[in-house]
Amino acid sequence: MPTDELRACDVSPVQGTGTPILELRGITKRFPGVLANDDVSVEVRAGRVVALLGENGAGKSTLMNVAYGLLGPDSGEILVDGQPVSISQPRDAIDLRIGMVHQHFMLVEPLTVTENIVLGLEPTSALGVLDRSRARSRVIELSARYGLKVDPDARIMDLSVGMQQRVEILKTLYREARILILDEPTAVLTPQEVRELFDIVRELVDEGLAVVIITHKLEEVMSFADEIVVMRAGRVVGTTTPGQCDQASLARMMVGRDVVLHVEKTPVQTGDVLLEVSGLEVLDDRKLEALRGVSFSIRAGEIVGIAGVDGNGQRELVEAVMGLRRPRKGSITLMGRDITRDDPRRTIESGVSHVPEDRHRRGLVLDFDLVENTVLGDHRRRPFSRFGVLDRAAIEREAASRIAEYDVRTPDVHVAAANLSGGNQQKLVLARELGRDPEVLVAAQPTRGLDVGAIEFVHRRILAERDAGKGVLLVSMELEEIMSLSDRILVMFEGRIAAEFEGGSVTEAELGIHMTGGARKAGTSEGGADA
Amino acid sequence: MPDEAVSAKNPEPPRTPEVIEDRDTARLARVVRVATPFISVAIAVLIGSIVIRLAGASPVQAFSAMFEGAFGGPRQTGETLLKATPLIFTGLAVTYGFRTGLFNIGAEGQLFLGGITAAFVGVQVAALPWAASVPIIIVCAALAGAAWAFIPALMKARIGAHEVITTMMFTYIGRYFVSWIIAGPFKDEGAIPQTPLLPETSQLPRISDVFSFVQPNRAHLGFLLGIVAALLMWWILRSTVLGYEARAVGFNPMAAATAGISVSVTTVKSLCISGALAGLAGAVEVMGVHHRMFDQLSLGLGFTGIAVALLAKTNPLGVIAAALLFGALSAGAGTMQLQAGVSPRVIDIIQGVIIFMVGAEAIVAWAARRITARKGAEHVS
Amino acid sequence: MLAEIFTPELFASAIRLATPIALAAVGAAICERSGVVNIAMEGLMLIGAFAGTTVALLTGSTWLGVLGAVVASLMFASMHAWASVNLRSDQVISGTAINILALGTTGFLMKTIFGHPGTTDPVKTLAPVFDLPRGDSSALGQLWNWIDTVLLSHTPIVYFGIFASIFLTWALYRTRWGLRLRSLGEHPRAADTVGISVYKGRWFAVLVSGFMSGLAGANLTLEQVGSFTEGMTNGRGFIALAAMIFGRWVPGGGYLASLLFGFADALQLKLQIFSDVIDIPAQFFLMLPYVLTVIVLAGVVGRAVAPAADGKPFEPRG
Repeated sequence: MPTDELRACDVSPVQGTGTPILELRGITKRFPGVLANDDVSVEVRAGRVVALLGENGAGKSTLMNVAYGLLGPDSGEILVDGQPVSISQPRDAIDLRIGMVHQHFMLVEPLTVTENIVLGLEPTSALGVLDRSRARSRVIELSARYGLKVDPDARIMDLSVGMQQRVEILKTLYREARILILDEPTAVLTPQEVRELFDIVRELVDEGLAVVIITHKLEEVMSFADEIVVMRAGRVVGTTTPGQCDQASLARMMVGRDVVLHVEKTPVQTGDVLLEVSGLEVLDDRKLEALRGVSFSIRAGEIVGIAGVDGNGQRELVEAVMGLRRPRKGSITLMGRDITRDDPRRTIESGVSHVPEDRHRRGLVLDFDLVENTVLGDHRRRPFSRFGVLDRAAIEREAASRIAEYDVRTPDVHVAAANLSGGNQQKLVLARELGRDPEVLVAAQPTRGLDVGAIEFVHRRILAERDAGKGVLLVSMELEEIMSLSDRILVMFEGRIAAEFEGGSVTEAELGIHMTGGARKAGTSEGGADA
Repeated sequence: MPDEAVSAKNPEPPRTPEVIEDRDTARLARVVRVATPFISVAIAVLIGSIVIRLAGASPVQAFSAMFEGAFGGPRQTGETLLKATPLIFTGLAVTYGFRTGLFNIGAEGQLFLGGITAAFVGVQVAALPWAASVPIIIVCAALAGAAWAFIPALMKARIGAHEVITTMMFTYIGRYFVSWIIAGPFKDEGAIPQTPLLPETSQLPRISDVFSFVQPNRAHLGFLLGIVAALLMWWILRSTVLGYEARAVGFNPMAAATAGISVSVTTVKSLCISGALAGLAGAVEVMGVHHRMFDQLSLGLGFTGIAVALLAKTNPLGVIAAALLFGALSAGAGTMQLQAGVSPRVIDIIQGVIIFMVGAEAIVAWAARRITARKGAEHVS
Repeated sequence: MLAEIFTPELFASAIRLATPIALAAVGAAICERSGVVNIAMEGLMLIGAFAGTTVALLTGSTWLGVLGAVVASLMFASMHAWASVNLRSDQVISGTAINILALGTTGFLMKTIFGHPGTTDPVKTLAPVFDLPRGDSSALGQLWNWIDTVLLSHTPIVYFGIFASIFLTWALYRTRWGLRLRSLGEHPRAADTVGISVYKGRWFAVLVSGFMSGLAGANLTLEQVGSFTEGMTNGRGFIALAAMIFGRWVPGGGYLASLLFGFADALQLKLQIFSDVIDIPAQFFLMLPYVLTVIVLAGVVGRAVAPAADGKPFEPRG
């Protein structure tokens, strides 16, 4: 990186023109044990895109939830058009024409697009009977006006994530929002969808809306924001614009120290094939085809990354490998032994460890203490148990040493795992799964929701496994993570491997094209990676 | 084998504990945990008093009569232990289910199956000595209770049919089935539908007959058996693979399945163990009290077991205490009716209120906050 | 013999016997669509049955009895709503508490008011709505008689049940209230963010269930049996739960499923008359509705999907 670009940010407040459409003044919000917002002030003007930039846990979402009436602030005031207003519930925000698209969509899955859009503000004829044709035509009209194409009669559960996001935006436009808040809108989108989203945002801003985008992605901020508000640990640490700042200094502002943006990696040294998946076909919960013939192999000493938009079969692939979901066809072989029909217990015992994508639902028993969580899955083995009786002393010794080795910060090993922070919970999962000394590690979304420090820790540990000659299957929605860690990258699309690349030989844009099946439509490489 | 039951059902929404709770919150949570049972009982007694008052009787007189009937002397205390005995077993039955995330609302039916089995086997093994026949009867009764829970368990594990409906239906089916056996194939001579009297070698003797230093009363060895069972369950839950897996599944079936614990197998095991314990409740009633089986063996012992388990906060050792409380209520109810003219059904109301209160921990949390707030204020002043 | 069994009276009795189950099932469908699990129908029905009989006996008016049944059931349903919605209790435990409380309260009041346990004095039941002339012996007249017996011989609450199941099914899919109710059971947070009150919506749904269960109790005592006996609901509340699941959480579906149970019940009663021909002990006939419930659940549950947020307390915003 050329040094002349590394200048300090100009963090002087951006000169405003006219009255801000939305102003948050001195917002403080406290949760038990943490100060989520500490005297935060932000101004938003019509026709501008404001990026609220910060790490996970910096307090961005809290702030916007206050603005939307989902959380009551402990102190501070909110002004709309220069007038102090009281927003104690979302209804108030809607009435003030504030709209919010949450990170986890607030859509009712079995209902249709139209029903979701009008919910809460339904056109009715006499006696509360829904006027469905009026609702439908209003939706069609809105989607035409803003270029947000979507089928008004489709059920939400049949839509892609990108489509669902359009529905969310239409929901706010239906309520005639002037201020649109988008919470981490790009987290689940492909690079192409991200570009489309920003086109839409640009159009809305040109129509006179103000848009606030909550994000932790530096590149995006640089490309779309008019103003950047950086938050760290509940405070605003600076306000700037893309023109006044570069990525590295933004990162420093965001994290509070220098950040190594790229992972140091030794050259790959692969050995024998450890895990071989061939012709795998799997059904999902709704009995639809989730995997339609997936084949690949993982060698000792390499990280194979799976890129793809959420819901293209990654989850089912991981579950099939771990024995949590029985394949319809195909085989899974571990070091020459067929494990296709093994149950999770046997799979684990044969040397496959698993960092599940959702540490709360699958990774930990939150009500168990740290000690009991440490042996989950190993509890049947010696020395932890003999003849069905647990050796509590041995378990406790092991737990103490692993908790120390993996730097799990806790006041006591006997507190419930629920009381740990997200980063420490993930370290606990790693302590258990890696402490078992597996041959193959299956890691799904291993850094989701973590702060930079924890992300670095997880990445280091995954690389250490690879360097120790283990095979790693890495599934992640974060393209950056896939690109920086993987030795080989497979792109999944609609239950197939749409493309395969050597690590470092591909750009995000190329991956993006394959993630949406673009290349296949162009007639090039269907299942090209199956060899 | 993949756990269909797990992937099919909706997972709990993930909790997002972003922070370590601060100390006050943690302490309050602990206070609430400990205080809930006591506050629940206090509120239930209060509501019971209001009901008694409204019915035109004196609550003070009623409850002192009840106390007299439950603890007035060795005979009365013996009655309390006697009434507590089946409740320890049904309480443990419901507790073990709860610990695995299962609600065995049908302990009543499993109890009847255990009872009829004890009555039947007890007569068949008349030729054996006491030391042989009693264990045989107990094992058979436990198996019968487990068997009655097996189909609901299988339905839960394989297709996710809610055990509240299925075990309840099996209670009705079981009661009619037992009623038929009592009135038909295994009916004693005479007009009354009941089974033949057990031989003495198949009975559980009174504690006062075994230990000469105990004053004569009707409490039988089943009570001691109950205490052993509670201790055993406490140890199983804490220190065995069986108990560890049951708790893991109870807290988070998805995580348990991911870690290689079969949720289906654990579900079936746990509901059957629960059923076995309920079956034992029937067995001790038949072997220790009535010495035969009849239609009215239990008037809701299985349902009281739910109250016992909840009041004990699903702690096996707490079950003993909670069972003693309900045993005392039940033993004192007769005296209360005699002396104060209050219907013994008032204890059902108290029981219902207790379940409601323990379930609604928020009320207790609110009360606890008030108490700690006042304590804080006292410190300041 | 088949002709003797499958008479018009059998079908009429099936509809009659299905009614208390159906009323509770229809109410439960509304309740669960809002996201509140209700296993308290057994107790609510029992309270309704007792209050109905008592009020009718004390006032001499059967209609006031019906009102009493509904009011008493609503009072107990309010407890369930308060516990499940405001206090965020475990809804299954709260329901269990109400079932036991109902058993205790009715038993206690029985003794206190009537001075004895068991069964109350008889009470005047509601008359059938229609009293139409019978047809002659022609084919048309026979057909008319068949229709008259099966469909037109019923008491008011029976017809109300049919009406309610149709109306509520329509309302669930075609009104603003229905749309919002469905959103509450699937994704209450989403409803909350567009300004719909989760608490109010769920309270109302629980009360609808209480209203219907109270009517079910009234139907049992004031239209069918004519007196109250302790514990007389005999698991009907739980069967209603199964019927609701079989009916896939749709009120009309719950009604149709209840007809199945009503028919099984009618059939077992009929078959008991032929006990000298069919040598099966009465207990086995009595088991029939419960066995059927288990079989129905075994066959259907895996494929029926409950509302996503069913049984999950809604945490208010911080």
